Amino acid sequence: MFQRDGSLLRQVNYLYKEHYDQLKSSGLYNELVSSGLLIPHNEVDIQHAASDQAYKVIRPDLIPFISYPYEWCFSQLKDAALTTIEIQKKAFEFGMSLKDCSAYNIQFRNARPIFIDTLSFEKYREGEPWIAYRQFCQHFLAPLALMSYRDIRLSQLLRIYIDGVPLDLVSSLLPFKTRLSFSLLSHIHLHARSQSRYADKPIGVRKKKMGKLGFRGLIDSLETTVRKLKWKTQFTEWADYYEDTNYSPGAFQHKKDLVAEFLDNVRPKTVWDLGGNIGVFSRIASDRGIQTICFDIDPGAVEKHYQDCSQDGEAPILPLVLDLTNPSPGTGWQNDERLSLQKRGPADMIFALALIHHLAISNNLPFERIAEFFSQICSYMIIEFVSKNDSQVQRLLASREDIFKDYNQQTFEAVFKNYFSIESSARIVDSDRTFYLMRRKGD
Amino acid sequence: MKALKMKPESLLLSLVLIVLPRSAYAYLDPGTGSYILQLLLAGLLGAAFALKIFWVKIKTFFAGLLAKRSKNE
Repeated sequence: MFQRDGSLLRQVNYLYKEHYDQLKSSGLYNELVSSGLLIPHNEVDIQHAASDQAYKVIRPDLIPFISYPYEWCFSQLKDAALTTIEIQKKAFEFGMSLKDCSAYNIQFRNARPIFIDTLSFEKYREGEPWIAYRQFCQHFLAPLALMSYRDIRLSQLLRIYIDGVPLDLVSSLLPFKTRLSFSLLSHIHLHARSQSRYADKPIGVRKKKMGKLGFRGLIDSLETTVRKLKWKTQFTEWADYYEDTNYSPGAFQHKKDLVAEFLDNVRPKTVWDLGGNIGVFSRIASDRGIQTICFDIDPGAVEKHYQDCSQDGEAPILPLVLDLTNPSPGTGWQNDERLSLQKRGPADMIFALALIHHLAISNNLPFERIAEFFSQICSYMIIEFVSKNDSQVQRLLASREDIFKDYNQQTFEAVFKNYFSIESSARIVDSDRTFYLMRRKGD
Repeated sequence: MKALKMKPESLLLSLVLIVLPRSAYAYLDPGTGSYILQLLLAGLLGAAFALKIFWVKIKTFFAGLLAKRSKNE
């Protein structure tokens, strides 16, 4: 994969020629693209090749924002798993199979999962087991089982283990009752045992083959297992946030109107809504066709938002789980395989609504550091200042000593003016809150 | 007494894994364990899958039959 003149190109080497040709000539490519499962691509002039090994050079459509499995909620990972299985089943009908099953091969476009690795397909050789079985279990089945049976937060193990969660670790973390389910017993617990038994041993098995029926049986079993996994506890800290606010209906409407007005003034192409909860304000941006990412720390809120998006149909919005005080870092080889949040930006505009008090008071971050970070990830910003008199701030202060002498509107404006110019501001009716439209200095 | 609840096929599979053949013929990559497990599971899962398809066909057959009958009535 490489870049030329601002577009992303991929080289298909001669080594992969027969597989690529089959993907195209068998009709599998057209089938997958027309059903929205695979990213479409164009073949471009071979002179763009990066080396003389090139058989073809392709330019896949771009995904607006690359997200990672540790930023997905439960249903996003589950949908990604089921999409992978669906692709594998279709590939099998066309005499092909997936050789990789990395969760990173799935991305979200308009809140729907899509497979982006066009060169993951290979000709199916009868008798061979599924080469991607281990990866499917480690990238999808294992984290989903942990989230479902143990704790939703265990999705974060994917951030540490770049090639999926090791099955021996998963096996030790899952509760005993998962051993009583035949599918989890075999795909996770015995799988882990089998891996450790044969790890690094120069041994093999008798030349045994796996027939087509066995192959289809395996895929079917994985699909059924994933479908059965559910996340039961939907009630979390923020998911009921809008039932538990101090806004009057008038204030809430005023906030929405201001967001719409500022968006129409600036007309950004991309918006990041930080702490966007279930996406009430994000929706104002996505309704205008703006590519919108709605980040929230709470997996319950993101789950609810994602399910709403799935029901509403195609909109340019992507809900993601993110702890803003510890955002996704660069990971993998040279810390560069998976990009940090910052490297995936900047956005044309960010929303920081009802957020500043959480950063400044709960997380004890000085305004200076908040303004500095925000100026690194956007050109424009809609930010809400929540005064100390506000009942939500009082709630935060109830459990801690008030050491936040600088937490006032004057200091807030003075510090943010070092990084931004204030384009517009308005006091929200019936509240102790103020909305600002700010523009980064130098833009 | 939870262990007694273990389904017979789970128990069978555990036993199969314990008595797995170790005859050597080639070096396989670290995914060897995943490879071997699939070969073991293939028979069971293939049979289960065949039954499932068969069952769906029976259901479709009878559903069709009933639909025909209610149409005739």
